[in-house]
Amino acid sequence: MSISKIADTSQNNDQLYSSLSQNLKMIKNTLGNSNDLVIREITIGKAEQFTLAIIYVDGLSDKISISNAVIDKLMLDIDDNNDAEIEKIIRYLRDSCLTVGDVNDIFHFSALYNSILNGNTVILVDESSTGIVTSTQGAKDRAVMEPSTESVIRGPRESFTETLRTNTALIRRKIKSPNLWIKSRIIGEVTKTEVAVMYLNGIANEKIVAEILSRLDRINIDGILESGYIEDFIQDSKTTIFPTVYNSERPDVIAGEILDGKIAILVDGTPFVLIVPALFTSFLQSAEDYYQHWMISSLVRLLRFFGISLALVAPSLYVAITTFHQEMLPTPMLISIASQREGVPFPAVVEALIMEVAFEVLREAGLRMPRTIGPAVSIVGTLVIGQAAVEAGIVSAVMVIIVALTAICSFLFPAYGLSNTVRALRFPLMIVSAIVGLFGLMFGLMIIILHLCSLRTFGVPYLSPFGPLILQDQKDALVLFPRRALLTRPRLISQKNTVRGQKYFNTKKRNQTKV
Amino acid sequence: MSKFKAICLLMILTVLLSGCWSKRELNELAIVVGLGIDKLDNEFEITVQVVDPSEISSKQPSTGRSPVITYHSKGKTVFEAIRKMTTVTARKLYFAHLQIVVLGDELAKEGMNEPLDLISRDHEFRNDFDVIVAHDATADEVLNVLTPIEKVPANKMLNSLKTSEKTWGTTQSIKIDELINTLNDKEKSVVMSAIEIQGDKNIGEEQTNVKRSKSSTLLKYAGLAVFKEDKLIGLLTEEESRSLGFLRDKIENTIEIIACPKGGTLSTEITHSKTKIKGKFEKGVPKINVLIDIDQNVGEVECHIDLTKEKSIKYVSKKTEELIKKRIEETIHTVQQNYRVDIFGFGEVLHRTNPKEWKKIKKDWLTVFQELPVKVEVHVNTQGTGTMENSLVNKPKGE
Repeated sequence: MSISKIADTSQNNDQLYSSLSQNLKMIKNTLGNSNDLVIREITIGKAEQFTLAIIYVDGLSDKISISNAVIDKLMLDIDDNNDAEIEKIIRYLRDSCLTVGDVNDIFHFSALYNSILNGNTVILVDESSTGIVTSTQGAKDRAVMEPSTESVIRGPRESFTETLRTNTALIRRKIKSPNLWIKSRIIGEVTKTEVAVMYLNGIANEKIVAEILSRLDRINIDGILESGYIEDFIQDSKTTIFPTVYNSERPDVIAGEILDGKIAILVDGTPFVLIVPALFTSFLQSAEDYYQHWMISSLVRLLRFFGISLALVAPSLYVAITTFHQEMLPTPMLISIASQREGVPFPAVVEALIMEVAFEVLREAGLRMPRTIGPAVSIVGTLVIGQAAVEAGIVSAVMVIIVALTAICSFLFPAYGLSNTVRALRFPLMIVSAIVGLFGLMFGLMIIILHLCSLRTFGVPYLSPFGPLILQDQKDALVLFPRRALLTRPRLISQKNTVRGQKYFNTKKRNQTKV
Repeated sequence: MSKFKAICLLMILTVLLSGCWSKRELNELAIVVGLGIDKLDNEFEITVQVVDPSEISSKQPSTGRSPVITYHSKGKTVFEAIRKMTTVTARKLYFAHLQIVVLGDELAKEGMNEPLDLISRDHEFRNDFDVIVAHDATADEVLNVLTPIEKVPANKMLNSLKTSEKTWGTTQSIKIDELINTLNDKEKSVVMSAIEIQGDKNIGEEQTNVKRSKSSTLLKYAGLAVFKEDKLIGLLTEEESRSLGFLRDKIENTIEIIACPKGGTLSTEITHSKTKIKGKFEKGVPKINVLIDIDQNVGEVECHIDLTKEKSIKYVSKKTEELIKKRIEETIHTVQQNYRVDIFGFGEVLHRTNPKEWKKIKKDWLTVFQELPVKVEVHVNTQGTGTMENSLVNKPKGE
């Protein structure tokens, strides 16, 4: 957090004392004498008449910049002949002495704590109730690395880190426009986490921006540790199992969405940046779709739609067909499946549930295990559910194929959020299929589709451009059209400035003069 | 009531409405692939061919059991007989995958209307299986024969029916719904492929039949059986069956053998055949014109003929034309004189051409049919000579 943001607006009666020792005592008391608090007292002036204290928190600040730009200046380079009064010396320090980028005055304890806990350094001078904040942030953070959840073959290799400032910079490096605006909020009574809303002014829908900010302002919680907290607070429907907020750890994806007129929400401390409004189709699109030939991307997208359908219904379809609609199978296939089912003690649905649950358990185990034990899980999994179960006659081989197919298809999702939804929905569908066959499956699917149609994400229908059908937006939905056909932005997202490459700067000015 | 409650209620209601009543696990079913119907002393005898899935499966080693089991039962009606069968079958009979229905010889002679009613009425039967008639055998005997390669005899019967229809032309597949339609149709008579048992019927039931490279008992299609209404009245020869195939435009691929000018024979492969039948009334007298367009290739040459010359090709075409024309005319004559039923569908053609005139002759159509003048015209186009031009026979010896 830059120090200019630490607005000293405290209304409380917590002004700094004019006595330095009193101030320091107060600070030490408030922080509970925590040993990472560093207070360095020095004296300056011709007759060493001014006592100063340099206060910072060890580990959050950049020690080199503190010693170069603050301590060096104050102890060595300072003009010792200066013997003016206290006010002058403070102005002198702030305006001429300290060689840091960002310097500000503070008057309250609350602002002081805020500053030092964000890694800044505060200089207090004896006999003055004004403090000077210098920006010396320098906590250890992770370097920008390759994305671990959304990998691509072709495309940028960088991903967001846990530091908000790095993240905003990563986006700004892609969109060098003065219209890329950032509105920030501090959320969390205790954690004081910075949340930044980033959008293209003039392209993003202002109503949505205002709505997001008001929803952020309404959040009242002690702490925000991940963007998932924010996601839960700001989404339209709290009861839906479908993700209505998109997240990505790839700056190029976020930049692309911002260019579409969507709005990014960055949270300090997490590499996952949120995007709203998130449409259903976003979850089936990968960044790479836009980097390779449109025909290939279209085929891959169709494959993904096919994959999600299969991941959702494959086990239910198997259960429904083998227990109710055997006549739908070709005879040789029926005989083949029937021969595998010979001797299996369970009904098809129980068999399917056992296998699906076993797979989910393995998947979860593989995910949470320490990396060194991971391979053991997969070996046991392959042997147990792959082979032994079939050979023992507990399940049929074709069921293993169905589960494997479902599992592979559920890995096809470019966005993990939807994959989880599909995982969860598979089970109720299996149960209705087991009760009433394909009729039940269709019934379940219809409920899902109706539910999807009823969803809205920040006022935009979740299922658009399919429901409502927007013909012109089909260019970037099920298939991807060539780039020259993509010159307009999605219609419901940004209602103005829908043409890409148009000089929206000028139009905006013209609009303003009219008003 | 909230939307959520309403949806929950609906879901609960659907469960109550249908329940699991039609649920059946795959290993609770006896998959019926063949159904045979015979008539014995005023009772129907039903034979079903049921597959034993674990014997068919390629993965498990064969335990030496038969891949199919046949069950029999008798009853006054077909329905009764089928239901009675549950006393001998281990599982519920499942008819949706029925491949073929075999009608016994005796039954076919007495009329097949009665037993067909159930199989076209019952909802468990689909309407996409073929119906054939057993020649000189009961349906039971036909279904008992074990066949090599195709472990399921019903599949074998269906496959040879279709393959032979496509590449030879002496069989014609007829689905149950088509059969029922034709039986209701007064203008056209039914023909059905007839199957016969070659070899010893008793050995055919044994597994030894499929354990030797040369099976002693085989199932073979004998030709087409002609029906008058629902009663079997005769069997067409192979030649006649193929002529009927041409007339019904069912020939896709077959061969013809013609004589060469200087002795020897030449076979041609017919690759495409299109038949157009046109009817007309001349002063109230119906007439039929048959036009057949045939494309063929030279398939096998066993004589001295120079195929590089256009003259020879023309000769081949002309000879084939004459041969087919002669055979078709003979077939029409035989059917008109011996069977006296319109299996060609000429009545349908005339009805379509002139419904008014047709009404006048409709009543005694079968009498008119016997004297109906039919003009047959065949155009043959010989396109290729295969991958070589002249025959090895052509080469003078010692060269």
